[in-house]
Amino acid sequence: MSFDVLFNQFMSGIARAALLFLVASGLSLTFGVLRVLNFAHGSLYMLGAFLSYSIWKFILMPVFGFYVAAIITAIILGLIGIVIEFFLLRRLYARGWPEQLLATYAVILIITDIVKYGWGGEFLSIPRPKPFTGAVFLFGFPFPSYNFFIILLGLALVVFLWWLIFRTRFGDIIRAAAHDREMVSALGIPIPWLFTWIFVLGSMIAGLSGAVTAPFGSVALGMDIEIIVECFAVVVIGGMGSLPGTLLGSLIVGEVYAFGIMFKPELALAFIFMVMAVVLIIRPWGIFGRPER
Amino acid sequence: MKKFAVLTILIFVVSLLGATMVMAQAKPAPAKPAPKAAPAAKEPIKVGSICDFAGPCYMYCETGLKGLEIAVNEINAKGGILGRKVEIIVRDTEMKVDVAVRELKDLILREKVNFLIGPCSSGTGLAMQVVHTEYKTLRLSAIANTEGMTVDKFSPYFVQVVPNTYMEATANTRYLNKKVPSAKKFCTLGPDYEFGRREEQAFTDEIKRLVPGAEILYEAWPKPGEKDFTAFITAIMAKKPDAVHSSLFGGDLVAFTKQAAPYGFFNTPFIALYDLPVLAALGPDAPEGTMGFGRGCFFMDPNPKMMAFVETFKKARGTYPDAWAVQNYDAMYLLKGAIEKAKTVETDAVVKAIEGLSIDSLRGKFTVRPLDHMGTVPCYQGTIAKDPNYPFKIWTDISRIPGEQVVRPEASVREIWKKTGVVR
Repeated sequence: MSFDVLFNQFMSGIARAALLFLVASGLSLTFGVLRVLNFAHGSLYMLGAFLSYSIWKFILMPVFGFYVAAIITAIILGLIGIVIEFFLLRRLYARGWPEQLLATYAVILIITDIVKYGWGGEFLSIPRPKPFTGAVFLFGFPFPSYNFFIILLGLALVVFLWWLIFRTRFGDIIRAAAHDREMVSALGIPIPWLFTWIFVLGSMIAGLSGAVTAPFGSVALGMDIEIIVECFAVVVIGGMGSLPGTLLGSLIVGEVYAFGIMFKPELALAFIFMVMAVVLIIRPWGIFGRPER
Repeated sequence: MKKFAVLTILIFVVSLLGATMVMAQAKPAPAKPAPKAAPAAKEPIKVGSICDFAGPCYMYCETGLKGLEIAVNEINAKGGILGRKVEIIVRDTEMKVDVAVRELKDLILREKVNFLIGPCSSGTGLAMQVVHTEYKTLRLSAIANTEGMTVDKFSPYFVQVVPNTYMEATANTRYLNKKVPSAKKFCTLGPDYEFGRREEQAFTDEIKRLVPGAEILYEAWPKPGEKDFTAFITAIMAKKPDAVHSSLFGGDLVAFTKQAAPYGFFNTPFIALYDLPVLAALGPDAPEGTMGFGRGCFFMDPNPKMMAFVETFKKARGTYPDAWAVQNYDAMYLLKGAIEKAKTVETDAVVKAIEGLSIDSLRGKFTVRPLDHMGTVPCYQGTIAKDPNYPFKIWTDISRIPGEQVVRPEASVREIWKKTGVVR
């Protein structure tokens, strides 16, 4: 096995990790602060993909069409996030996980049916936007430039979230609220609105990642459930609610899968869940997570 | 607690609304109760259309149902079958085996349908086969095509009008071999379930017959619905195969193609299910010169009958019909032929009539083989190319392999039956 082959496979893993990180970071953020396991995160991602397709078709802008569509999609998903948080999640924070799970599962069914109603079952696709149509050469081996775009976007999101959570006053409040809700609220900070904003941010990330997948692969029904399962593996391995954990979890899942495919394709998916099982046995709260109080 | 109650009601109402909206869409032909007073001969002939309105099957079933409706409208406009109108009753399986069986029983026992057409998924199809065989109701398959339904788990109450996995893969392997006769080393890439496993097995068997010393270097099995094929692409390319055979289809093939193109993957000969919906979704991204196979739509078989159907379909729907609509249309006409030959809708007589029956379908003439009820429908292959007449790429260098040439030999079918315990 030569170096170039392994390197190519490694880069495939990185590309997959970046995509997973985009989706899982929103899931992890919502869980970390709100303590709500948002099962419907994948559905918001799917809705984002379908919306971005329609918006891209509607605006028909030659070069920047896709980017504009992605931004508009993220904003619309943010608005949808407000509605979901205000009418549903807000009423569930104090309740147990079973109820949260049922309610967010209901959202999955609702969004699936909305997508079926609005777009039907056709699989759709957006051509890759300029300038990411071709491939770049790394040490003489081709690597699709759109994959680079996704990796860059993933990195940008890491930096942005890190800056937001660790370098701003808003982030201080978020971290304080995640630690002790009552205390923060006693200091006069309106916790309900803070939570709304966090959920909106999570929804916008879901929408943006959905839009970014549209030119990468295809937009089709069922992509919600497909991604949420892997995202759960990512956040369980990395640690629920931890940003570095989500990043590490994405990398582990992406690379284990990529090399699994190369050496033992029939077991590639099983490897991911084996890693997850091992992490759960040794550190049930994940690599970077902290134990539940 | 009151808040929770209000919320529960709210969720319930919203989901109910959502469900009704979907049902309203999923059931364009609502069941009308048959007038009880009417004389028996004038009662409509009821055909249950079983659809998997979920995931990748949603689109196939939607367009397939449209093809079925066009056939039924034509038949009814000309006075129906044996003077009786035909009525379609649509049911949704949600692509779940338990729902499929429940809906199927309801169709047979309560709606008292005379015949069944469907479904799309080989999984729900295999599960239903046991049930409708028990109730002695005839089913025709117009989308699902696992060989398991016609061969391994043969039922006299089942008829296939889609090239099954064996025929399809055997035919497209011959095309691949004809195009790249020098290829000796292959990789396979199939979705990891019943359909993909059977197609790649049939490919492996056929290529070893055609090319002495043929070698399968690597088998990739992405799960259905995979979004990121990058790791599969680099793994296949690392093996440097002479050609790659794939049974990816639909959205998965769209995603794969877009991800593989920047790697220069399509410099290696490649064949997959590049049919109309995939080519339409890919648009300019469809790789010219790459090979495709399909089950029969207008650009694969532009005969006058097919083109007339295209016009009718376009008027009804505004788009080009794909193979799923064609196959549903053909299934309905095959059923019509069998009922007219039997001169009754009584199941056993119709089953007897359908054995050996030939019809002039949209895909040309085919015959239902008496042995296993497999229609000798053609398989199509071609090479992707631009055509100024269409807003998407189509095929050139088209090959139409009649079903008779690729259907599993009768001796081989009996061989399998010995193992699976089918007595016939």
